[in-house]
Amino acid sequence: MINKKGNILTENIIFIILNLVFLSILIIFLFSKMGAAAVLEEKYAKQIALILDSAEPVMIISINMEDAIKIANKENRDLNNIISIQDNVVKVQLREKGGYSYSFFNDIDPSIYLNRSSIKEYIIFIDYN
Amino acid sequence: MILKNKKADKIISVYWFAILFIVAAAIAYMVISFYGEPYDIREAEAYALTNKVAGCLSEVGYLKEGVLNEDFRENFMEKCKLNFEVEDVYNWREHGQYYVEINFYDFSTNQSISSIKKDNEALKPDCGLKGKTFPVCLERSFYILDKEKNQYQINILSIVRKTEKNVQ
Repeated sequence: MINKKGNILTENIIFIILNLVFLSILIIFLFSKMGAAAVLEEKYAKQIALILDSAEPVMIISINMEDAIKIANKENRDLNNIISIQDNVVKVQLREKGGYSYSFFNDIDPSIYLNRSSIKEYIIFIDYN
Repeated sequence: MILKNKKADKIISVYWFAILFIVAAAIAYMVISFYGEPYDIREAEAYALTNKVAGCLSEVGYLKEGVLNEDFRENFMEKCKLNFEVEDVYNWREHGQYYVEINFYDFSTNQSISSIKKDNEALKPDCGLKGKTFPVCLERSFYILDKEKNQYQINILSIVRKTEKNVQ
């Protein structure tokens, strides 16, 4: 009788542990997909391109990129080089191999730099041209 | 009796795991298809382009002086600070990814006065076709006066293609 009770308890514990492991794997998978470098590169390249499309000269725009900066730090990227704007194409590169670029149509002269006081946001300055 | 129950429990737990795996597979499929799909921002781009053009044609609520002149039509891109150069991928540079068409009408007679057409006009026939792979078209019109109180209707058609980076 005691043995039977013991078996039932062990089986239940194994069942619960397996369920927990299973759910944990699922949650880790979800978060890894949500915060993937490729997804963030695309998201921020397009977001910055849209901001620049609507921007006017002498505007100063601040953009919070805390999640992207975390990934760039993990990948040992220089934070000054993760966003580049050449001609009218924005490129966001959080990894050594990779990166995402997107063009904007507004003929402006933007410059982008890391906000040294917060280290989680970038400042976009639209120069007068 | 206890033995029977135990067997039933085991069958239920196998069944339970099968359900769990089916649910997990469904969630994984949904997540991969959601995050694998690019963000489609072409409509937002078309709105921004239309706003930019409309803002360029008007000044403090009136039609900007010289907008109907030949010089403005010829130098529209520089005057409105537009640059339709795109990244060098998917052969985009050879086939423009934007198109803007502006038509000016006399508001009282509805007669066409002038029009401006820029970049890839070949995108225009695709407007009105349903499907994600077609370019996004946005048509807006507004009424405006010039400083001599002449009335105009301006129609702006903005088209953004960039299909490969916005639709899978």
